[in-house]
Amino acid sequence: MMNEEVLHQYFRQVCDDGDQDAYNELYKALCSRLIHFSAAITGSWQLAEEIVSDVFIMLWRKRAQLSNVANPVVYLYVCTRNQSLNAVRQHRRHQHLSLDNLDTDALAILPDTEQNMLSAEVTQKIESAIRSLPARCQLIFRLVKQDGLKYREVGELLQISPKTVDAQLAISVKKIAEAIRLDMPADLAQSYLLR
Amino acid sequence: MMHDKIWNLLAKKMANQLPPEEEKELERLLQQHPDASYVKEVMMQPWKDKHKRFSPEETDQALQRHRQRLEAAMETEEEPEPGTGRIRRMIFRLTGVAAALALAFYVGYALWPKQKGQATEELQQMVTHQGSRSQIKLPDGTTVWLNAGSQLDYPKQFAGKTREVTLAGEAFFDVTKDAEHPFIVKTNTFSIRVLGTTFNVRAYPHEDNAVTSLVTGAVEVVMDKKTVRLMPNEKLSVSTLQPVSSGVADRETIVPAPAVKSTLTEVRDSVIAETAWVQNKLAFKSQPLEKVVILLEQWYGADIRFRNEDKKQVSLTAVFEKESLTEALEALELTGSFHFKKDAAGIIWIE
Repeated sequence: MMNEEVLHQYFRQVCDDGDQDAYNELYKALCSRLIHFSAAITGSWQLAEEIVSDVFIMLWRKRAQLSNVANPVVYLYVCTRNQSLNAVRQHRRHQHLSLDNLDTDALAILPDTEQNMLSAEVTQKIESAIRSLPARCQLIFRLVKQDGLKYREVGELLQISPKTVDAQLAISVKKIAEAIRLDMPADLAQSYLLR
Repeated sequence: MMHDKIWNLLAKKMANQLPPEEEKELERLLQQHPDASYVKEVMMQPWKDKHKRFSPEETDQALQRHRQRLEAAMETEEEPEPGTGRIRRMIFRLTGVAAALALAFYVGYALWPKQKGQATEELQQMVTHQGSRSQIKLPDGTTVWLNAGSQLDYPKQFAGKTREVTLAGEAFFDVTKDAEHPFIVKTNTFSIRVLGTTFNVRAYPHEDNAVTSLVTGAVEVVMDKKTVRLMPNEKLSVSTLQPVSSGVADRETIVPAPAVKSTLTEVRDSVIAETAWVQNKLAFKSQPLEKVVILLEQWYGADIRFRNEDKKQVSLTAVFEKESLTEALEALELTGSFHFKKDAAGIIWIE
């Protein structure tokens, strides 16, 4: 994941200098994260990509007015959230709108089995542990673990307190831990015991 | 219970937000609970998306699709239709305005070489700050009203075949007739060529569009590749976005929006949004709050920001004349569409 400061730097270059290279880099660094976030709200990958594209078009148009944005990454998440909720509003008129009504498929993340020794069985257990969590809890877990947002930033985005983020994240970790902690390979267990 | 504490610390560790003193506590707990150490290993590893993984190639493809949409969006960008009505009265009562203006401005002098091969000509400069407006008479008798945050460069004497001035910002010109010597206003985006007429130019360097609004007479707006002639009561809006012209062949370029012609906006009887400022009025019609905020910032020299991004699209119409900033905001707030608060630093927050 790209260093947050680098992203801020790109954002400033876009706002202050209209720098197209910085703009492209910013898109490449954030498109996956924002598209997953939008897809969780809209339930459509295609729509999500369009929404994130619209957010970046808006960024280009208004760049001159955005140089005062304090946290560019959270700002782009908030824009994506608003555009996504608007899109849902247009498509399903009568549905109650909230961030609890999420397509959790788009949120799903797993340990990278190519890079570690986890068995498919353990990965499966992690997946179902995460799936058993409330949608909002899954969203928070993803935003912290995969997207690297801070508690404070997640709180700002979801309009909840950092304390709530802290509590929800601990619940996620506990669920995952309970599902896998007894599956530790024997040799690994041995190495810990001998420390 | 013991484990709950571990999971909480582990969550913070995973989020890279564990303070050093708690780090030590976590280490101690993990030594007592090797099963938790295993969980830590798993949680600290990089994870990946289950669905829709973006490889570098797919990210590049997504960028290409986005660039195409961006270019299409910039090309088709259109001015919103101006409301109704032709302008019934086009002659402004402009006398007396000067006294009300001219609060805080200064006139600077500078010498610039004019053009290659020509004799140097003494240039003068007038600058207005945010929140102030000014009026000036040029050597040929032309009167110029300069809106807030603007700069006008003009010669002490008009010597050549044309009368040329350079504008960054907004100004209203009442040009003295002189068919032998066309009057030319240069901006970053276009030049305006006139004989004798009244018109308004809004060309702030930081805005997306530069607009020429014609009140009487005739003007020609000269751009890089074409010239557009305006009739009274028409305006021309041109995108200020610069096309990228670095010689790099594969670099994406932004095509500026084509120039868009439309009619002036009558807010109410004889108050025209584009030129009301000359009569010391701030007028706008069906403008989104984010644009209104820019007008208010220029007019009153204020700092206004959004706490609630959703409010940017709230559409507002108003004419202000003697109101203070607070009175103006309170009047707009009465629409019930937003609230504002002033913080200790004097920044106004829309929420």
